[in-house]
Amino acid sequence: MSKPIHLVTRRDFIKGAGCAAVGLAAGLPVLAEETPQEIINKSRVVLIRNRDVVSGDGKIDGALVQQMLDEAMMALFGKDKAIDCWRQIIKPTDVVGIKSNVWKYLPTPLEVEQAIMNRVLEAGVAKGNVAIDDRDVLGNVVFQRATALINTRPMRTHAWSGVGSLVKNYIMFVENPPDYHDDACAGLAKLWELPMVKGKTRLNILVMLTPQYHNVGPHHFDKAYVWSYNGLIVSTDPVAADSIGLKIIQQKRRLAFGEDRPLQPIAHHIAIADREYHLGNSNPGKIDLIRLGWENDILI
Amino acid sequence: MLAQENAAKDLLSGMRTSWFRYSALIVLFVLCWCGKQRHGEAVNLTDLFPLQISSCECQADTATYDRETIFDYIDGAGEVYRSFDFREVAVANYVCGDGAKLRIELFDMGSDADAYGVFSYGREQEEIGIGGGYELRGSVLSFWQNRFYVCVSVEESDASAGEMLLAAASTVSQRLPQESIRPSLIDLLPSDNLVPYSDRYCHLHQALNYHYYLARENVLHLDSTTNAVLARYRPGSTLLLLVEYPDTARASSAAASFMQTILLGAKNAEPMSLASGKFASCEQISRYLIIVLESPSVQSALNIGELARARVAEFLSQGQ
Repeated sequence: MSKPIHLVTRRDFIKGAGCAAVGLAAGLPVLAEETPQEIINKSRVVLIRNRDVVSGDGKIDGALVQQMLDEAMMALFGKDKAIDCWRQIIKPTDVVGIKSNVWKYLPTPLEVEQAIMNRVLEAGVAKGNVAIDDRDVLGNVVFQRATALINTRPMRTHAWSGVGSLVKNYIMFVENPPDYHDDACAGLAKLWELPMVKGKTRLNILVMLTPQYHNVGPHHFDKAYVWSYNGLIVSTDPVAADSIGLKIIQQKRRLAFGEDRPLQPIAHHIAIADREYHLGNSNPGKIDLIRLGWENDILI
Repeated sequence: MLAQENAAKDLLSGMRTSWFRYSALIVLFVLCWCGKQRHGEAVNLTDLFPLQISSCECQADTATYDRETIFDYIDGAGEVYRSFDFREVAVANYVCGDGAKLRIELFDMGSDADAYGVFSYGREQEEIGIGGGYELRGSVLSFWQNRFYVCVSVEESDASAGEMLLAAASTVSQRLPQESIRPSLIDLLPSDNLVPYSDRYCHLHQALNYHYYLARENVLHLDSTTNAVLARYRPGSTLLLLVEYPDTARASSAAASFMQTILLGAKNAEPMSLASGKFASCEQISRYLIIVLESPSVQSALNIGELARARVAEFLSQGQ
């Protein structure tokens, strides 16, 4: 099991006040009088890594993914049992859509989808009230009547938006994605105002197991530009989670290229999601980053 | 094309031997076919795929995507192609004798210039020998030829991948019209201190922002009727941006917008220090704008501007 860094003090700190901050970012009810303002304004992000979760031949260990997700949830919500964290964000009466990503070269791994599904079911949601989908969310009857969404995808460089991010992952909730492509997809955060989405996202999981830090040509994929980072980034704030992921990608590019080579195009939709749409926090000063597990080459 | 056909008929009437007639018929066929290719008339792209490449057989699942459906194939990155005069892409999968999988994507970009433009988009190196130029990076080989941009990729990159990609690309290249003409704007770039393969050809401000983030707003009034090339120069990473507008009035309007928004009121061709500490300038000559960005000094901005001005002036003096 991974050893949380500063676990005791941080957990103590998180208990009570911290959960309210999480609730605010997720759009959940918050007892404001219990929470200092400076804590409310911060977004908590958990970065958890495990050295063994991806094997040398690229296979992902499902049991370790589950363990990582459970530990991340406990750190994020300040509880001793993972299932209690899930019960805090998912009610048995909820209808849950798990928004995944099926991009053929680097999809959300089945192991991550399964780990989420396990806990949603364990939280008491009926099997018929939970679905995993990407391209057909508009036609999926579970997503159509969803009361809660879990958002998950791998981070990768992208030729039109800088990176494929959690904020961007909701593009399939519109009939015509090109409507959001202007200015390097600057206005992607508008997606989060759609009736099918607004206020429903309970958790965001940015998959950093084998992220992609560079493109070959406008749309191609080459295994040479992914690496085993072996991490998950978990938060109720998609912007904060994306900001952390983006920093890791940028640092990896610096190391790989031996120079500061900016993303093309710049991934400004993440900062704009904060600055103009107030979807979450992109400013590092407003992100409470908790690092858990394997620290080698953590890049942040 | 009519002129080509008439010329070929005249040629044919002058021939006396059957051998010459036969040769002339071939010439006529090639001229007509190339004419069709050049002018963007309908071509069934899937017909251009070889059925067999060495031990690799073309599978039956060939598919095509147009400007509207390209997102079904390559999601938002399809905008890169749509920022040019992209018509459609055909995709063919091949399975080889040793089980290796090969994919060929054949993009009809509408013109040679736009085929070059998309090729230049993310190019880091360029080799000659296939089409107008090619780049082999890892598991992908891309080249441009005539109005086509072609990507050949293998699923698993191993020691033999490069050889397989080169063989496949050469085979496809033989089935395409051979002539490939780079955009004339590229010729206006001064060659002194130009960083090799750094030129990027595009039309829209979103595409320009990909290569160099200028502004959220379209301050240069770029659209599908404008042509732009951005290139890197030494010393430092000075950038030279040449933009060609349909007419002088459009260029004047864009120059005024750029000077007001980015250069904060600088005069024509006058380098201005920006917040980054680097220098930028903008000069209008007829329907062209010459823009220098990220220059480390006033002098280097003046130097590159002067070289570009001479190239544009020479081009214009030739009646272009």
